Amino acid sequence: MTVNVAMGRPVRRTAVAARRPWILVGSLLALAVVCTLVSLTIGATRIPFSDVLAALSGQRTTDGAEVVLDFQLPRVLLCWVVGIGLAVSGGVMQGVVRNPLAAPDIIGVTKGAGFAGMLLVLTLPGASVALVPLAAFAGGVVGAGLVYLFAYRRGVSPVRLALVGIAVSATFEAGIRYLLVKYPLDVNASLIWLTGSLFGRSMDTVWMALPWIAVLVPAVLVMAHRLDVLGLGDDLATGLGEPVERTRRNLLLLGVALASVCVAVAGTITFVGLIAPHIARRLVGGRHVVLLSAAAMIGVLLMLLADTVGRGIAAPLEIPAGVVTAVIGGPYFLYLLVKLGK
Amino acid sequence: MNATTAAMRPSLAGDAGQGRGPGIVVAAVAVVGVALLTVGILWALSIGSEQISWSSVVHSWFSADSPADQIVRTIRLPRVLLAALVGANLAVSGAVMQAITANPIASPDIMGVNSGAAMVVVAAITIVPTMAGAPSILLAFGGAAAAGITVMVLAGMGTGKVSPVRLALAGVTASTLLVSLTQVLVIFHENDTQSVLFWLVGGVNFAQWHDIGTVLPWTAAGLLVALALAKSLNILALGEDMARGLGQHVERTRAFGAAVVIVLCGASVAVAGPIAFIGLIAPHITRKLVGSNYLRVLPVSMLVGAVLTVYADIGSRYVNPPFEVPTGVVTALVGAPIFIYLARRQKVTR
Repeated sequence: MTVNVAMGRPVRRTAVAARRPWILVGSLLALAVVCTLVSLTIGATRIPFSDVLAALSGQRTTDGAEVVLDFQLPRVLLCWVVGIGLAVSGGVMQGVVRNPLAAPDIIGVTKGAGFAGMLLVLTLPGASVALVPLAAFAGGVVGAGLVYLFAYRRGVSPVRLALVGIAVSATFEAGIRYLLVKYPLDVNASLIWLTGSLFGRSMDTVWMALPWIAVLVPAVLVMAHRLDVLGLGDDLATGLGEPVERTRRNLLLLGVALASVCVAVAGTITFVGLIAPHIARRLVGGRHVVLLSAAAMIGVLLMLLADTVGRGIAAPLEIPAGVVTAVIGGPYFLYLLVKLGK
Repeated sequence: MNATTAAMRPSLAGDAGQGRGPGIVVAAVAVVGVALLTVGILWALSIGSEQISWSSVVHSWFSADSPADQIVRTIRLPRVLLAALVGANLAVSGAVMQAITANPIASPDIMGVNSGAAMVVVAAITIVPTMAGAPSILLAFGGAAAAGITVMVLAGMGTGKVSPVRLALAGVTASTLLVSLTQVLVIFHENDTQSVLFWLVGGVNFAQWHDIGTVLPWTAAGLLVALALAKSLNILALGEDMARGLGQHVERTRAFGAAVVIVLCGASVAVAGPIAFIGLIAPHITRKLVGSNYLRVLPVSMLVGAVLTVYADIGSRYVNPPFEVPTGVVTALVGAPIFIYLARRQKVTR
C-alpha cells in the first residue's frame, strides 16, 4: 500500500490554511465569483463590463446584455455546476479508493455515461435531447455498478476497484469507438461531446443539472467525516465502529451520481475530478469537509478557466473545454506522479 | 510484489532437471497453435462480402484467374497476414514489457505506448497532410517511445517497487491525455475525419500488401532481439537484486527491452492503429500454457497473439454483418474480461 502512505503524509500548507482553512475556502469562493464576472465579458467578441452588470440586474437593453443572458450566463453557471460536481465526485472517489490517482474517469463512470449518451443520440435520432442526461446517468451508474460488482470479493479492495475500473472503462471505450465507426456522419458532433464542451448550452441544461448537484453535494458533505475514518484503513475504521463496506458503497454511489450528472450535461470532461482534490489537499490538508469544499471551488475555477480559454483563445473557433482541462490537467498530473513517487 | 514476481519467475530448476514434461507441453501448444492459426487464416480468407469456399481459397494460392482468386490475393490475404503480424508484435512487446517492469499488467495499451504512437501519427497527418505511409512508422516509433518512457519513468520504474495499480493508473491517465489530444486534432480537421478516425480505433480492415512490407522488417528485427534477450529476461525475473548479484547489466537489459517494445508497438500502430489488450492477455495466456521461461514465452506468445488477433478479426465480421466492427473493438471486448480476471487475482492486487 505504498501509494496510500503518500496520502496520509502531512501536507505542507500555508500558515493561514493550517489554522483557518475556511478562510482559504472563502477566498477561493471570492476568486471564483470574480473569475465568473470576467468570464462573462469574454465571448466570441468582448462584451463591455457595463453590459454584463446590466444583464445581471435583469435588463435586456443592449446587444451585449442579450448575449450575456442568452449565451454566456448558462455557460458560466454550468461551469459552477460541473466544476463542483466533478471535483466533489473526484474527492469522494479518492477518499474511498484511498488512492490519490482515482477519479471518475478511472472508475468507469465517465466512459459508461459517455457510451450511453452516444448510444441514445446515434441509434434513436428522434429521441428528445432531454433524455440524453438520463441515459448518461444510467450509463454512469451501470459502469460504476459493474466495476463494483467485478471488484467485489469478500469486500471491495481499493486496488481491485481501480484495476477493474480500468478494464470496464476500456470496454465502454470499445463501445464508443464502435459507435464512432458505425455512424461516421455524426462523428464530429460525437467527438465534441466526448471531449466535453459547454458550447451552445441554455438555461434548460442548467436547470436540469442544478437540482442534482444541490442535493448530492450537501449529502456528501454530511458524510465527509466518514471519509476521514475510512482513510485510517479498513481495520482501524472497522474498529472504530464504521460499517466500512456499506459506507464505501454509499459514498461511491454519491460520487458516481455526481459525475454522471456532469457528463450528462457537459460531456466527458477529464482531469477536473482528478486534479481539483489534489490542489485542494495541498492547500487545506486532508480533512474531508474542508478538502471537498475547497476542491469544489477549485473545480469551478478550472472549469471557468477551461471554458473561457476554449472560447476566447481562437475565437470564433471553439476549443472544447475538455481539451483545455486535459492540457492543464495532464502535465499537472505528471508532476503529481513524480512527486508522489518519492 | 514478491508474490507477483514469483508468479512470473521461471522454473529454472525444473527445466534443467527433467526438461521432459514442459518440452512436450510446448510442442503440443505449438502444434495446436499453428493448427488454429492455419484454420483461422483459411476461415478469414473465405468470409467477407462475398463468401468464397475453402477449396477456392486454396485454389487461389496457385492461380489468379477468377475474381475470387483476386479478392483473396489482393484484399483478404494481406488483411489476415497483417492481423497475425500485428498480434505477434503486440504479444511479444507485452511479454517483454511485463518482464522489464516486473509488473504483470504492463502492456503497450495500458502504458499509453499505443496511444502515444497514434497521437503523433495523427498530429503529423493533420498538420502536414502530405505525409506518406513510409515515415509514419518512424513517427509512431517516436510517439511510442515518448509515451512509454514517460509513463515508465513517472510510474517510478527502476525503483523496482512499482505496484501494478500505480503503473496502470499512470498509464491510463497518460492515455486519456493523449487520446483527448488526438480527438482535438480529429475535430479540427473535419475534411479527413474518416481517415484519421482509424487512428483512434485500430483495425486491419483496410490492410494492403505494402503495409505488410512496412511492418515485416521491424517485426523480424524486434522478435530476434527479443529472443536474444530471453535469457537476460529470465534472470531479471528473479528480481533486480538477484539479477545484479548474478552479474547482469540490468539497465542494459531494460534498455534493449524497451527498444524492442517501442519498435514492435510502433510498427503495429503505424499499420493497424491502436489495437487493445492483445499485448496484455497474450503473454498471460502463454504463461498459463508453458510456464514462465522467456525462451518459451516469447515464441509461444507470438503465436498466441497472432491467433487471438486473427480470430478477433474474424469475429469483427460476425458481430454486426455486413458492417465490420473494427478489430480493436473486438480485442477490447475479449481482453477486458481477462484483465478483470487478472485484477481479481490476489497476486496482482496485493
